[in-house]
Amino acid sequence: MTFLHRHRGLTPYLLLAPGLLYLGVFFVVPLGFLAYQSLESGNFDVGYAFTWAWGNYWDAIRGYRGHFIRSLEYAGIATALALLFSYPLAYWIAFRGGRWKNLLLLFIVAPFFVTYLIRTLAWETILADHGLVVRVLRDVGILDPDGRLLATSVAVVAGITYNFLPFMALPLYVSLEQIDHRLIEAAQDLYASRWKAFLRVTLPLSLPGVVAGTLLTFIPAAGDFINAQLLGSPKQHMIGNVIQSKFLELTDYPAAASMSFVLMAAILVFVAAYSRAVGTEKLTG
Amino acid sequence: MTDVLTRRQLLERAAKGGAVLTVPGLLAACGGTGKKSAGTSGSHKLAKTLRFSNWTLYIDINEKTKSHPSLDQFQKKYGVHVQYTEDINDNATYFGKIQGPLSRGQSIDRDIIVMTDNSRYPSLLIKKGWVEKLDKSAIPNIKNLQPTLQHPNWDPNRDYSLPWQSGLTGIAYNDKLTDAVLTVPDLLENPKLKGKVTLLEGVGDTMPLIMAANGDDPTKVTDASWDRAIKRVQKAVDSGQIRQFTGNDYSGPLAKGDLKAAFAWSGDVVQLQADNKHLHWNLPKDGGGIWTDNMLIPKRGNVYTASVYMNYYYDPKVAAEVEDYVNYICPVVGAKQVLLKGDPSIAKNTLIFPTKEMLDNAHNFDANALNNQKYITEWQNLISG
Amino acid sequence: MTAVAASAPARTSGWTLAWTFVRHHVLTVYALLAFTYLMLPIGVVIAFSFNHPQGRFNFVWSGFTLDNWRHWDGVPGLRSAMVLSVEIALLASLVATALGTLIALALVRYGFRGRGATNLLIFLPLSTPEIVLGASLLTLFLNLNVVFGFSTILIAHIMFCISFAVVTVKARLVGFDRHLEEAAMDLGANEWATFRKVTLPLIAPAILAALLLCFAISIDDFVVTYFNAGPRTTFPLFVWGAARVGAPPQVNVIGSVIFIVAVTGMVANVLAQMRRERSATTA
Repeated sequence: MTFLHRHRGLTPYLLLAPGLLYLGVFFVVPLGFLAYQSLESGNFDVGYAFTWAWGNYWDAIRGYRGHFIRSLEYAGIATALALLFSYPLAYWIAFRGGRWKNLLLLFIVAPFFVTYLIRTLAWETILADHGLVVRVLRDVGILDPDGRLLATSVAVVAGITYNFLPFMALPLYVSLEQIDHRLIEAAQDLYASRWKAFLRVTLPLSLPGVVAGTLLTFIPAAGDFINAQLLGSPKQHMIGNVIQSKFLELTDYPAAASMSFVLMAAILVFVAAYSRAVGTEKLTG
Repeated sequence: MTDVLTRRQLLERAAKGGAVLTVPGLLAACGGTGKKSAGTSGSHKLAKTLRFSNWTLYIDINEKTKSHPSLDQFQKKYGVHVQYTEDINDNATYFGKIQGPLSRGQSIDRDIIVMTDNSRYPSLLIKKGWVEKLDKSAIPNIKNLQPTLQHPNWDPNRDYSLPWQSGLTGIAYNDKLTDAVLTVPDLLENPKLKGKVTLLEGVGDTMPLIMAANGDDPTKVTDASWDRAIKRVQKAVDSGQIRQFTGNDYSGPLAKGDLKAAFAWSGDVVQLQADNKHLHWNLPKDGGGIWTDNMLIPKRGNVYTASVYMNYYYDPKVAAEVEDYVNYICPVVGAKQVLLKGDPSIAKNTLIFPTKEMLDNAHNFDANALNNQKYITEWQNLISG
Repeated sequence: MTAVAASAPARTSGWTLAWTFVRHHVLTVYALLAFTYLMLPIGVVIAFSFNHPQGRFNFVWSGFTLDNWRHWDGVPGLRSAMVLSVEIALLASLVATALGTLIALALVRYGFRGRGATNLLIFLPLSTPEIVLGASLLTLFLNLNVVFGFSTILIAHIMFCISFAVVTVKARLVGFDRHLEEAAMDLGANEWATFRKVTLPLIAPAILAALLLCFAISIDDFVVTYFNAGPRTTFPLFVWGAARVGAPPQVNVIGSVIFIVAVTGMVANVLAQMRRERSATTA
């Protein structure tokens, strides 16, 4: 449906220039500082010196491999859950929302108006050991009689999922909303059931939104630290927590920097594989 | 358990002409007079503005006028405007922010900052030469400093710092959910508490209590005593006894009954008790922890003006006015006597004005251990799995 | 939804009718449940804004009061923190969405050298842990010797919002039917007019979604803001600090107010639209 204009002169570069320049100055340059830091060695007392210390990277991988893997795991599960949760919701808003669509979108992002900490504390209340949710789960047998949800990986993944729902739902909505309803009607006129029409028409047309939402959720979620800190025990801590502590408590800036780059590399490897799997050009542009 | 004066009651009382609680009222009552700056030599010039960074909600507030009465009085008395910023909410993050400019020799645009000595940062700031020495000639009231706080191991002569507020670290428990938890071994090893207790994530908060329980001296940490302590904590973590390592976010779960016991700070429990009478707090039998939030003068801050403010704060009447709101532990001798007249329920609360026995049983943590890279790396690995 | 009339209708028993009813509305029921789930923390926040705690902490319900709402402005610094957060969020989302839309257009419609690298560049800020992102930006600002405050916060927020805007708008552009634009140009419109009258309205929902997303991210950001705020305090910064000693219920009040104002604004918008349409049709 989209066709690329090759070599349309300056237009693409003019379009890109403001944004890329901005990112160039305010992101790439700081990232350069970070890269420089990641290759330093020394300690806080005597200072750091640039020594091409590639060993920092190796130390990061070797020492915290478990945390890296756990982070990617949690982020992956949270992304899948967010997709399952958000798709029907985004569908409903796009197809049934009518003139109230924008208001409904507002409800999706509303939780962000009360800050991360308050949202998470509210969830602590809801998932409390003696609260309704846990009691029901215990009665039904899903949890042990003295089981709990807080300070477990369930709570952490649930927290991540919840906090990243808008990142999944909005791109999904964007993609679903532009689907021409006449295509679906046509499919049904051709004797497809509602479900078939959905599978063959709607779902494929919404894939760009799925891909966008997946990326916007998975990538930042992998580096998250706050959910593990507030809702998890030490066994659930992610690589984000380690980077935090390296930077703040241990003032080990090279370690924090190199770990960050390892994380970014791991994420980008996944993103590349994922894009390859879904067939990029058509879907992500 | 004593009643705690709520902010609401405080404001009602102040509004109903309880002018005793304001500094002029108190000064008038005691027949004192305000003195202008103790100007001696030329370098003793007050700046126009005092730039004061502090923790959030850590100074007296008048909700009606939305002002900080003690700061307004300072302004009136000395003609110095106080630019009060509440931008400190965590020692490590704040240090992470200011180490950038300080390491470059730049000013951070502050005359007073406040950092806690159960973290490594006050001693680190001194070690790196990033704080100025106090002008003690401008702080005659320094004699009012609590004796137990006069010689911390990281600043033995109080050359660089003066306490703002203190707090005690001990064990809080919920009597509805458990029998009294009065010792650290009980909290760490009692199977009935499994999965329902938390420790504090700061190594300077938790380790003094663990070491004291082991019979070791937290103010002088050795490799052997460190190993003993960290092994004990590791065991409790591995067995699932310890649910989480928290900052002050234990307060929610404790208040709501998700926790049976926790390492907790006295000031928090004072507030939680107001809404939940089942919560108790004690120093562990073998010894608890004491920490202080300290006023420091960052490099290139105005030493004289900052010192004058510190002197002002160490006037018992001013300290009492702030204490009445903040309700942590006041470092100024004499404030208790002032509050006995103005607000006795606060003065008699041993969590706000602890007894000598309590203070003797609370220890600082060895600042060298706080900065020992091997120790703190081990600790971070422990609390981050 | 169009009904499928491929086969003869079965005997309409009560159960069949009920089942049809459910099937038609299961999505709506799901949506309602989903919104309830989403809004639960907001509900808790609003509820506890009416709480009357005896102590400083607002965890346990102690009694109902309207005092917090009457004295909503009683905590010094809270209102200015929220005002700053909203200002920054509005500006940052506008600028980031504008820049991001331009980038998205370029990426989706043009082949150019460095397309792959640009895509990569867009994903990088998303994957950078906030703590090192904030600290590195701080380093940059220190080297440039800037004054910290509103502008540094704004710059930081625009920076990390651009990527979100790009990806969101791209999702719309990828499925975009270019034939509409071609038709417009065939009818004599130049590129700019086509863009304004055809393209822009059609991608408007995506732009709005990007604005909303950027606004939400900006108003909630903590770590990067903390490092680059200098002496200014935003709402999340204030809340995090206040939580240490017990965030006063006024925090809940202010948090609720923003949400309520936004909802009211949108509802008013829709109602005004409806009234306009009604008067147009009855004219």
